[in-house]
Amino acid sequence: MIEHLAQAAQQVFLNGQVWLVIVAAALFGTFVGAIPGLTATMAVALFVPMAYWLDPVAAMAGMVTMVACAIFAGDIPAVLLRIPGTPASAAFTNEAYQLGRTHGARRLLSLMLACSVIGSFMGAAALIAIGHQLAYVAAWFSVAEYFWLYLLGLCCAVLVARDRPGVAVLALLTGVALSTVGLSAVHGQARFTLGRPELAQGVGFIPAMIGLFGLSEVLNNLIGGKRNDHGAAAVDEKSSDNSGLLRLSNLLHRKRDAVRSGMIGAGVGMLPGAGADMGAWVAMASSGRGKRTAAQSNEQRDTNMICDAAVAKSASLAGAWIPALVFGIPGDSVTAIVIGVLMMKNITPGPSIFAEQAPLVYGIYLLFAAASLVLIPVGLAAIWCGGWVVRVPQRVLMPLIAVFCVVGSYAINGSYFDVAVMLALGALGFVYERFSIPLAPVVLGIILGGPLEERFIQTLSGADGSLLGFVDRPGSALLAVIFVSIWTLPLLRKLRSSQAVRG
Amino acid sequence: MPLPSLLFILLLTWFGGLSGCNREASYPSRPVTLICPWAAGGGTDRLARHMAVQLEGELGVPINVVNATGGGGVAGHMRGALARADGYTMTLATAELNILHWRELTSITYRDFEPLMQINRDDAALFVRSDAPWHSAAELAQAIRDNPRKMRASGTAFGGIWHLSVAGWLDVQQIEPEHLIWVSINGSNQSLQEMIAGRLELVCCSLPEARSLLDGGMIRALAVMSEERVDGFPDVPTLREQGLDWSMGTWRGLMLPRGVPADRVQKLREAMRRVTADAAFSKFMQEAGFVAVVADGEQFGTMLEDNDQRLGGVLKGPSFSAVSRQRIGVMFFPTLIGIGLLLTIAAVWWRGELRGSAGQRRLAGSDLLKAGAALGFIMLYVLAWEWMGFVLSTAMALAAGLILMRVRGHTALIIAVAASAITYQAFAVFLRVPLPWGWLGW
Repeated sequence: MIEHLAQAAQQVFLNGQVWLVIVAAALFGTFVGAIPGLTATMAVALFVPMAYWLDPVAAMAGMVTMVACAIFAGDIPAVLLRIPGTPASAAFTNEAYQLGRTHGARRLLSLMLACSVIGSFMGAAALIAIGHQLAYVAAWFSVAEYFWLYLLGLCCAVLVARDRPGVAVLALLTGVALSTVGLSAVHGQARFTLGRPELAQGVGFIPAMIGLFGLSEVLNNLIGGKRNDHGAAAVDEKSSDNSGLLRLSNLLHRKRDAVRSGMIGAGVGMLPGAGADMGAWVAMASSGRGKRTAAQSNEQRDTNMICDAAVAKSASLAGAWIPALVFGIPGDSVTAIVIGVLMMKNITPGPSIFAEQAPLVYGIYLLFAAASLVLIPVGLAAIWCGGWVVRVPQRVLMPLIAVFCVVGSYAINGSYFDVAVMLALGALGFVYERFSIPLAPVVLGIILGGPLEERFIQTLSGADGSLLGFVDRPGSALLAVIFVSIWTLPLLRKLRSSQAVRG
Repeated sequence: MPLPSLLFILLLTWFGGLSGCNREASYPSRPVTLICPWAAGGGTDRLARHMAVQLEGELGVPINVVNATGGGGVAGHMRGALARADGYTMTLATAELNILHWRELTSITYRDFEPLMQINRDDAALFVRSDAPWHSAAELAQAIRDNPRKMRASGTAFGGIWHLSVAGWLDVQQIEPEHLIWVSINGSNQSLQEMIAGRLELVCCSLPEARSLLDGGMIRALAVMSEERVDGFPDVPTLREQGLDWSMGTWRGLMLPRGVPADRVQKLREAMRRVTADAAFSKFMQEAGFVAVVADGEQFGTMLEDNDQRLGGVLKGPSFSAVSRQRIGVMFFPTLIGIGLLLTIAAVWWRGELRGSAGQRRLAGSDLLKAGAALGFIMLYVLAWEWMGFVLSTAMALAAGLILMRVRGHTALIIAVAASAITYQAFAVFLRVPLPWGWLGW
């Protein structure tokens, strides 16, 4: 192992081409990630033709770095403009934007950058330490387990919603209902299309996300719903934050939370079909559970949730590589491309890769570490550049954001229908905000609605219509018990405390 | 001349030069769009991006891949068929083109396309877990016959190419297709994982898709539905060797909308011929796990017709229409969600959770008017894209928007021009998103 590691280190660190690729990929990944409408997957797909001419280690270096940077960069427009750059940032977009306005956007982004770097390192550590063993857990998962998993994922949005679970459920179901428009993936039949072929492609979550967060904010501003005209976020960094809320050293006191979020991220990322976005949601829902003290202000809790989510979404990236390397089954859409590129290089992922391509596997481990390091300067530079956006007056910024929303939603598929979806959901977001209905669960509903229905119907039809199919395996039964207890335990606790009061 | 106006003119000429205003008569003179009906990261997407790079070298203009996903291939194929027939839009069509219209999901058929060149064919193969008791396709068929509605299979969604391959095979074996439960799982990878997890007995997909699990000894290939054994998999017997007359598989090929001028078709076809004859092509296909089958226009057309007839035979045959009455209908899940939504709205309203947040003033009628007007303005702006091109419409809309927001006139103009030019450079040139062309050639 030591000898393989040495060989891998030599291939990674002593190769000029690899460093060149890493730096270029970091810049490109940050740029693409920061543009709403272009995802980390898109960045990697654009890179594939170039990967053809690179040697395997350099190609892997490009993809690892690009994704790590793109996932962080997605936070930048979320904090500055309230438009999540990648779906993984949608979970906390509203909270992060509000915090950025009151306590300084650059400061918040630096804190999130630190969290991303920590998460990235923890994901790499998980990949190195237990990747091989964990992969066999993932192999156990069948459609019934996924059904429960997606259902638990949806519940996270309700758990995050503190004192108003009702409206969170409402937002969530809106998203799920929207996801049923178009061709049903599992039946192969069209529904709710009103006979229009364009509607068959359904409501994409990227235009939906841009509309819900970005355009609705523009509309809000237009009618003068916002307080000051100066900048998208607080301008003066020094005076705006004297509460010490966003101090980097606060992270030191939250070591255990960081470890927990990292493990959540790596674990969720490892499951095929659940990526960085799910990781962020689950980490947010589990943030601060159990030790809720009255002393914690809402802002404090928001900050903690954002930090946990940022750690988890970065950690999930490495997690997704676990099933990809061990079984050749992609953990997310990015690793699907990775598998393709590996096959292009005549390397077949699978159990044998650890024996036959050991230096490459260790090289990938080291690349995750290198990518986390490169993320620091590149991320800081991106935050610095993004800071200029803050100085642009609102009345100039708003028309620009509107154009940005249109181009971003058009860019993903080159389709005018997606622009229409963006506009419609912008209007919906505007209305929902008036009733203080949270918007992030709508996005989660659209993302998970399709897979949830698929797994639901697949489990039912696999069991030939019997409901027992949902609980007849140990894994699915366990997840079902977790699901039921999440809902009944708080109720029981409430019941007991009200009895105590009465008695 | 004041400085801002000078800057304005400078910027205009600079970006004009960059974007290549001059339109030559020769074809191709501007970027070509290659539509991929499947998502970024999949096998078809990888193939599209490789072909784009190779064709770029031949044609000398950028070839931009657009993933027009959704509707199980409906969106992409429709866009490709209905695009302007000027040779600037190509489609990487897949076997779904010959399935979707039989299932009445679209009216588009292969006859709406001008076949340019077939580049690949992947034959269906039958896989079982390596600890399964069946060692040949015949043994498996017997097991299905003996255990009606006990065995489960997948490989793709309901009515997908691998499902039809299996249905046709069962037909030839004279087994009721209803005897085998088809679990509708999108994607061969997920199906294979489901089989390893023990929830499926049979998976049908292409051989390269299953290679890593096959090499890892976790699954076994029983038969491949091709005419001859597949290169790289010499141990997998064909159904024909086992005495059955059935072959089926997916294919991929480049197509143009019907009506492209003949000289342009010819030019593209020659470029494709050079690309596919190149050693890099066969190397890529082998390494990416595709079986390269190259067929020119006419041959491709004949193949399409035959393939379409065979798929129609399976889909419209009496046995398959019996299966398509699925137990859990398409409206089952939306109905559940709809009921949930109504109950939630009632509960939220009753608990009084629907309140405006503190500090927000009530909406006046004029506010709604403002928001509606903004939406309408943006819609008009998007409609103008196709008509006068991206750069011009964006510059005009931005200038108008900024002035409406009470930004001073020439400041607004400079911002508008600079922003639209920079956006164009970033998206269309750097990120290769094909933005609409208009009057000025942008």
